[in-house]
Amino acid sequence: MKKFYWILGAVAVIGIGAVGYSVGSNALGKAATEPVEVEGLDNMETLVAKAQGITKGDPDAPITIAEFSDFQCPGCGAFALTVKPQLELLYVQTGKAKFVYYDFPLTSIHPHTFLASRAGRCANDQGRFWEFLDVIFRNQSTWAAKPNVEGDFVDYAGQAGADKKTFEACLKSDAHADVISANMRLGYELGIEGTPTIMVSKGRGMARRLMSFDFESIQSVIESMLVEPVPPSGN
Amino acid sequence: MDENQSPPRNRMAIAILSLAGLFVAAYLLAHSLGLTGPLVCGIGECDTVQSSKWSHVGPIPVSAFGVVGYLALVATSLFGLQPAGRASRPVGVLLLSLAAVALACSAWLTYLEAFVIRAWCQWCVISAILVTCIFLAALPELKRLRARSDA
Repeated sequence: MKKFYWILGAVAVIGIGAVGYSVGSNALGKAATEPVEVEGLDNMETLVAKAQGITKGDPDAPITIAEFSDFQCPGCGAFALTVKPQLELLYVQTGKAKFVYYDFPLTSIHPHTFLASRAGRCANDQGRFWEFLDVIFRNQSTWAAKPNVEGDFVDYAGQAGADKKTFEACLKSDAHADVISANMRLGYELGIEGTPTIMVSKGRGMARRLMSFDFESIQSVIESMLVEPVPPSGN
Repeated sequence: MDENQSPPRNRMAIAILSLAGLFVAAYLLAHSLGLTGPLVCGIGECDTVQSSKWSHVGPIPVSAFGVVGYLALVATSLFGLQPAGRASRPVGVLLLSLAAVALACSAWLTYLEAFVIRAWCQWCVISAILVTCIFLAALPELKRLRARSDA
């Protein structure tokens, strides 16, 4: 009987150790989960240079559809899964428009959103941003309620076709925190208060901000811009 | 079987196997709750299995049922090793019942992996092997129950 208790104790120690380690090693370490200070953003030129959208479609397409989005915002999820595919089919794939994604994580109400933005950028490093965007939005209700989402994001990156180890190393660092912080600042400078915010522009012309993000509203703006003459460049 | 009889070895085996299974289920549950990093998955496609619709029963992760089941097996087998529990008929019946239910659940989940999800999770396979061993280890209870009925 004594031998039995020794074996049982050994199994208990190994089990507690293994499960405890897997939970403990999940600490994000130096991962940036909040916006960071970026020098020079008060200067508009520096801000515009630092802020970077992620583009889908022909970079020379006449129309630009810019979205300021938050991965943890349900409206952004609905837009990404229902409206964006229609816009892509009609305008992006036909070369009439390009789609540009800007991070605008609403960190005051969404605890995982900054990390999610960084996760998107880490997927983008491997050319898998748009695939990751689909997966993370499809699973939004699953991960948004969890206390810790790093494991989920790594899983989603794998589903999006990214190398999980490379992605995880990126996620556990402070990579892209500066660009996302700059994108947030750009959004604030543009007066953006909520997500998703859609802005449509033609050439270097003034962007038109849409008050709603349903397909018909965006389509009517794009169609009207397509027949307008291209605005002269500012040079 | 009386209280002075030596502790049944099959119950020792069930206790050890169930404790190992408990940690496997606890690991999967911790992952489902977002408490761990990515699943360690050397063999198979754990992500595919764990993110499938079959990984939950309503809002409850399947691994939670595993934790409860293994806990019940550990507790019952340990009680069955104590002098007061060795001769207890309900302990034998409960061990057999728990092992049979666990085997049935495990067989169903293995079927889902093989033919519906078409992906394997190494932790589910380990759990299935453990449950099969637990069921085999519980079979002597049947013999004991019959012997007691005949006496």
